[in-house]
Amino acid sequence: MAKKTTKTKERPATKRAATKRAAPKRPDTKRPAAKRVVPIAVKAPAKAPREKTPSRRSDETGTAGDLFRGKYVYCVIQSADSLKFGAAGIGDNGTEIHTVHYRDLAAVVSDVPLGVLDSTRENVLAHERVNEIVMRDHTVIPMSFGTIFKTRDDIVQLLRSAYDAFGDVLSKMRDKMEFGLKVLWDRDSIVKDIEDEDEGIHRLKNEIALQKGSTYFARMQYGRAIDAALQMRSERYGSEILDRLRDVAVASRINKPIGDKMIMNAAFLVSRDQETAFDTRVKSIAAEHDKLTFKYTGPWPPYNFVNIRLKLERV
Amino acid sequence: MAVERAAGGSSLIDVLDRVLDKGIVIDAWVRVSLVGIDLITVEARVVVASIDTYLKYSEAVGQSVPVARPALESRPYDELAAENQALRAELSAAGGARQPAARRRRPGV
Repeated sequence: MAKKTTKTKERPATKRAATKRAAPKRPDTKRPAAKRVVPIAVKAPAKAPREKTPSRRSDETGTAGDLFRGKYVYCVIQSADSLKFGAAGIGDNGTEIHTVHYRDLAAVVSDVPLGVLDSTRENVLAHERVNEIVMRDHTVIPMSFGTIFKTRDDIVQLLRSAYDAFGDVLSKMRDKMEFGLKVLWDRDSIVKDIEDEDEGIHRLKNEIALQKGSTYFARMQYGRAIDAALQMRSERYGSEILDRLRDVAVASRINKPIGDKMIMNAAFLVSRDQETAFDTRVKSIAAEHDKLTFKYTGPWPPYNFVNIRLKLERV
Repeated sequence: MAVERAAGGSSLIDVLDRVLDKGIVIDAWVRVSLVGIDLITVEARVVVASIDTYLKYSEAVGQSVPVARPALESRPYDELAAENQALRAELSAAGGARQPAARRRRPGV
């Protein structure tokens, strides 16, 4: 497609960002950086764009008329054929999801007003929803939320610059999906268990109960012992669960637990043909631990197993 | 407890946990530098900076790079690593020579 000249919006942005450091050239860059310039729109919390959104549903070619249209990218897939995924895109009326191609790669996109997209509940969920729709029939490399390109050409440029990388990742992720597993416990009831089972702690507790006068040091000691015991127990649970899932998953990633009830926050990459095995295993692990709460989600696009960081470099 | 699998998009927290900084990420530092230009007309080129797929168990923790690290980014990693090593060597040499002095004395013990 011919590059659009959005004359009205051209403004000397050069002085603004020209002084920003140029990223160091990396010799290991997969491909020589393309020489063409690529205007790119970007995410960040800022004032919501109040563009006049043309109410007509613009067709996927994007004529020179829609100056205010950018293209939101959801994910990258492998497909040489142009595809449509229905009107599920970000925006009020559900914009048409279509593809932009470079060779056998395709970016899954929809038209959005050009500007900064807020990470509202609707927008974030729409991003995920589209990924899930595409994922039914394709291996996806998910894009992080909020990336908008100005023109179709820019996206082609993106696909071209990172062609080898995307191809490599796509082949590694083929027929694999991500599942999330969070494990939570009821701290109080675990503490009770520890008090019953650990002799030293049990004795300390009784001492505190019987002692007259200051129990300060005994209580300090008790607190420390409980903390250590909790820590140990949480680690034991974690490694035990991880061990049990190892042979049904391709990979795992442990993220930081959120909140003080969570003892494990993990993501697993699972082959499609092992999905049932993984599922059964998770359920049986959960059944064996009545003290723990399991939050099991998926399938997800492989967010936790793909990390492609693209740098925009000024020419 | 019995557990059922919930679809990915059913929990906003789980979604946010993933979509904000994982997957294909356009460098945030550059991103920030663009903020304020109401319509983005800055010209830039895309360069693949680093690529990684997580396929190992052991590397699990602490993999996600903080999104913006301008200070570090101006210097290549190797250089920093080398400097770190040099400093360590220096430190251990100095430490060996004057260990007792280096150790802080506890008052009143």
